[in-house]
Amino acid sequence: MLKKDLILRNPLRQMGYEDDDIIPAGGFGAVLARAGVGKTALLVQFALNTMLRGKRVLHVGLHDPVNKVDLWYRELFRHLAVQYQVGQIRTLWEEILPLRFIMTFKVEGFSVPRLRERLNDLTAQGIFYPDTIIIDGLIFDDFPQSALADMKSMIEELSLRAWFTVHVHRQVQADADGIPKPLLPADDLFDVALLLVTEGNEMHIRDLKSERTPSPHPVLILDPATMLIKENVAVAS
Amino acid sequence: MKRDLAKIRNIGISAHIDSGKTTLTERILFYTKRIHAIHEVKGKDGVGATMDSMELEKERGITIASAATYCEWNDHEINIIDTPGHVDFTIEVERSLRVLDGAVLVLCSVGGVQSQSITVDQQMKRYRVPCIAFINKCDRSGANPKRVVEQLRGKLGHNAVLLQMPIGLESNFHGVVDLIEMRAVYFDGPHGEKLRYEEIPAVLLPEALRLREEMIDQASIYSDDLTEAILEEREITTAMIFTALRFGTLKRRITPVVIGSAYKNKGVQKLLDTVTSLLPCPAEVENTALNLDENEAPVILKNSPDEPIVALAFKLEDGPFGQLTYIRVYQGTIAKGTTIVNVRSGKKIKVGRLARMHADQMEDIDTIPAGYIGALFGVECASGDTFVSPGLNLAMTSMYVPAPVISLAIAPKDNKAQINMSKALSRFTKEDPTFKCHVDRETNETIIAGMGELHLDVYVERMRREYGAEVTTGNPRVAYRETITQRADFNYIHKKQTGGAGQYGRIAGYMEPTSEGDFIFENDIVGGAIPTQYIPACEKGFRQSLEKGPKLEFPITGIRVVINDGAYHAVDSSDMAFQAAARGAFRDAYLRARPVVHEPIMKVVIESPTEFQGSVMALLNQRRGMIVGAQDEGVMCIVEAQVPLAEMFGFSTVLRSATQGKAQFTMEFSLYRQVPNSIAEKIAEEIAARKKNAA
Repeated sequence: MLKKDLILRNPLRQMGYEDDDIIPAGGFGAVLARAGVGKTALLVQFALNTMLRGKRVLHVGLHDPVNKVDLWYRELFRHLAVQYQVGQIRTLWEEILPLRFIMTFKVEGFSVPRLRERLNDLTAQGIFYPDTIIIDGLIFDDFPQSALADMKSMIEELSLRAWFTVHVHRQVQADADGIPKPLLPADDLFDVALLLVTEGNEMHIRDLKSERTPSPHPVLILDPATMLIKENVAVAS
Repeated sequence: MKRDLAKIRNIGISAHIDSGKTTLTERILFYTKRIHAIHEVKGKDGVGATMDSMELEKERGITIASAATYCEWNDHEINIIDTPGHVDFTIEVERSLRVLDGAVLVLCSVGGVQSQSITVDQQMKRYRVPCIAFINKCDRSGANPKRVVEQLRGKLGHNAVLLQMPIGLESNFHGVVDLIEMRAVYFDGPHGEKLRYEEIPAVLLPEALRLREEMIDQASIYSDDLTEAILEEREITTAMIFTALRFGTLKRRITPVVIGSAYKNKGVQKLLDTVTSLLPCPAEVENTALNLDENEAPVILKNSPDEPIVALAFKLEDGPFGQLTYIRVYQGTIAKGTTIVNVRSGKKIKVGRLARMHADQMEDIDTIPAGYIGALFGVECASGDTFVSPGLNLAMTSMYVPAPVISLAIAPKDNKAQINMSKALSRFTKEDPTFKCHVDRETNETIIAGMGELHLDVYVERMRREYGAEVTTGNPRVAYRETITQRADFNYIHKKQTGGAGQYGRIAGYMEPTSEGDFIFENDIVGGAIPTQYIPACEKGFRQSLEKGPKLEFPITGIRVVINDGAYHAVDSSDMAFQAAARGAFRDAYLRARPVVHEPIMKVVIESPTEFQGSVMALLNQRRGMIVGAQDEGVMCIVEAQVPLAEMFGFSTVLRSATQGKAQFTMEFSLYRQVPNSIAEKIAEEIAARKKNAA
C-alpha cells in the first residue's frame, strides 16, 4: 500500500475493526481518559480520517471556542501530512475543510433538543449534512440517562455516527468488565469504548469492549510528541 | 450661565430611529421658552424642528448630526444634545455620551426596545452615564408602556422603575398619574403648556397604589431612611423617595421610567422635573484623566472652575468662520485669551472667540467653566484631543470609534469635481472619525468607508450640495491575483540583431507553483551559460512580469522560477536583453502553466441573537461562504466563516435586515483561494468589457 493511501486508512483498523468508520450508522463510540491524556486528539484524528475519505464531520465542542477546536485540526493535520509525506498540504487542507463544521456550546446550554435545532438549521438550509458527529466535553456524570437515550434515538434517526469524549477521574473505579463508572449506566448504548491510559511514558489505547483482559502491550498507542495514533513497535516486532 | 454646578444638567437624548428624540427636544425648548413656536420634524410648514438645521435633515426628516442647545427649568440650566437614531451616525451618539453627565433614553411605546435602543444602551454603559427612560408615543395605536418596561428589564437588563402610569392610552391618552406625589396630571392649553393636577381617577387607584409600592420597594434598597420609614410604617415623604431614587439612578442601579407623548404635548414637563431631580450635576460625576508623566496613572479631576484647565474636544465642524471645536470643560475655566495646550500635538493655543450653541446658532460668551459645553473658534485639532493648562500633562481617554462596515468606490465626473471632491473628503474625514477614505494602491480607486449605506449616501449628497462635486459610486474592485497550477518549461530567445548594436539573450528553465512565497527565483545555471552579471537582470525581468498577468492583468503570485540553461552573445548581450528575454520566457510559459485566478477570502465573524443563527448561516451560504463554526453563547451566537470579498459588498445592509439590526460582524483578510470556473469566466468578461470601454 502506498504511504499516501495509508492516510486514508483508519489506524483503529489494526485493532481488528472491519471498516474505517469503526462504528455502525446510528452507533455510539466513546473515548475515555483522565484530563489531558489525549481524548480530543484521538477524536480529531478520527475526524480527519473521515474527512479525508470524503465524509462530513460535525464537531460539537462543549468547553473550547471554535478557533481552539480549529487549531486542533490544523495541528494534527499538519503532523499527519508530514508523517505520510503528503505533498501540497495546503491544497489538501482546502479540499477537506468544507467537510467539517464546528459547533460549540456552553456546557450548561447544551441539550439534545438544542442540538437537534441547530442540526436542523444546517440541514434545512442545505448548509451542512454531517455523516459523523463528535461531541467533545460532555459531562457524563451530570447528563441524564434519558437525555443520552434521546440522543441515541436522534443519531439513529439521522443515520449518523457519534463519538464522545468521556472524562474519567483518577480515583474512579471500573466494573468487573473494566468499564469506568461514568460510562457504566449507558454502557449498552455504546458500540465501541476506547480507554486511554498512561503507562510510564506511553499512552496506551485499549478497546474496552473487546479486550476483557487488558494486554500489557496494546496494539496502538498515542505518540506523545505529535498525539498521533501509531503502532506499538513492541507489539509489531 | 449658572455658576452653581449643582444646578447644571448636561444630558443627551438618544434612542432608536423615529422614537421622537427631536420632537421631544423641540417641546423641551418650547416649554422652557427657548423657542416660541413649535415646528414639526417633517411638518407641513417646511420649517423643520429647531435641532434639525441641515437642509438634508429637514428634507429627509432624520437627524444626521448631533445638535447642542441649552435651556432653563426649575431654576436649573439644562444643556441638551439631541442625537441621531440611525446606526450610520452612531459616532454622534458616541461623542455626545462621552462628554455628558446623564441621558434620556427615548423608547417608542409601540416598538419598545429596538436595535438602536440596544446600541445606545451599550454606549451609555460604556461611559457609565445614568439615564431616565421616556416611553414616548403613548397616543399611538398599540401603545403598551408595561410591555416596554418588561423589555427594558429583559432585553437591556435595567432595573426599570415606573414613576408614572398612563391615564388612558392610544387616542384616549389624556395624562399621567404621578406615583411619587400620588396625583393625576393633565396637560391643557393648545400646546399642553398648562399643567392641571387632580385626584387620581378611582378606577386607576388600585393599580397606582400597587405600582407606587413597587417603586418604593425598589427605591428603599438605596436609602436606610426610607427602609426604616417603611418598616416603622411612618409617613413616606416625597423627599425621601426622590433621595433614594436619585442615589440608585446615579449608581446606574435604577432606571426611572416616565411616560408621555411629545407630539401630543403630554408628559414633557414632568420629564424635565425628573431630569432636574434625578440626573447628576457635573460635580456628581467622577471624571478621570491619565497622567502621562506617571505611566498613565489615573487622576480624578476636580470639577472646580478655579483649578488648572482640563477639557476634551469631542466634535469638529468646518463652517464659514473656520473650524468650530465643541469642547467639554472638566476642570478649570477657559476664557478668551487663555493659553491652553493640545496634549496630543504639544501646540500652545491662545483662545480666541468662544461660543455657546443653540442648534446652528451661536451665542458669544466670555468663558466656559468646568461642567459646561461650549465651542472654540479657529483651533486646529482632532476629535478626542485633550486641552490643558500649560504645565499639565494629562490626557482624557477619547471616545470609542467603531470600524466602518461598508465601502464604496467613488469617482469624480470631471476635473473640477475631482478638486472639490478632495476638499469635501478632507473635511468630512476630519469631522467624522467613522468616515474613512483611502486610495486603493492596486486599483487606484478612491474608496470611502462608513457605518452604513445611509451614512455614505448622506456624504455623497453633501459633496454635491456643499462642494458642487458630482461623483459616481460603485462597488470597489476586488484585488484578484493570478497564479499557476502546474509546471511549464521555457526556452526563450530574445534577439534583435538587424545591424548595429543588437540585443541577444536566451533563457531556459521552468516555472512551477509554490506556496512558500509570492515569488522565488532560483539560479541553477552551470558552466556560465548565462554570465553571472546578467542573472540579476533575469530575475528583474521575471519580477516585472509578475506585476500584471498577460491575460487578465492581475498581479501574479505563488511562482517559483528556476533557470538552468541559456546563452549569451559577447557583444549583443546586456542587462536589458536578458530582462526582455526573461519577460518573453515568462509570457511563453505562463499560459502553458494553467494559470488560475485567486480571490481574497475574508474571515467573517458575526455576532447575532441565537434566534437568527439559521438566517445568518443561510446568508453566508448564499454568498459562497464556508462556515467554519458556530459558537452558542446562550442568548447570542457567534458564527465564523470564510467568505470571498467579492460577495461581501452590501452585506451589512442585508445582515441588518435579516436580524432586525441586532447582529454585528467583523471582517478581516484571511487568504487567497482559487475562484470557481463560472466566476473566473465572469471576471474575464468584465475585464474584456472594461478594456473595450476604455478603448
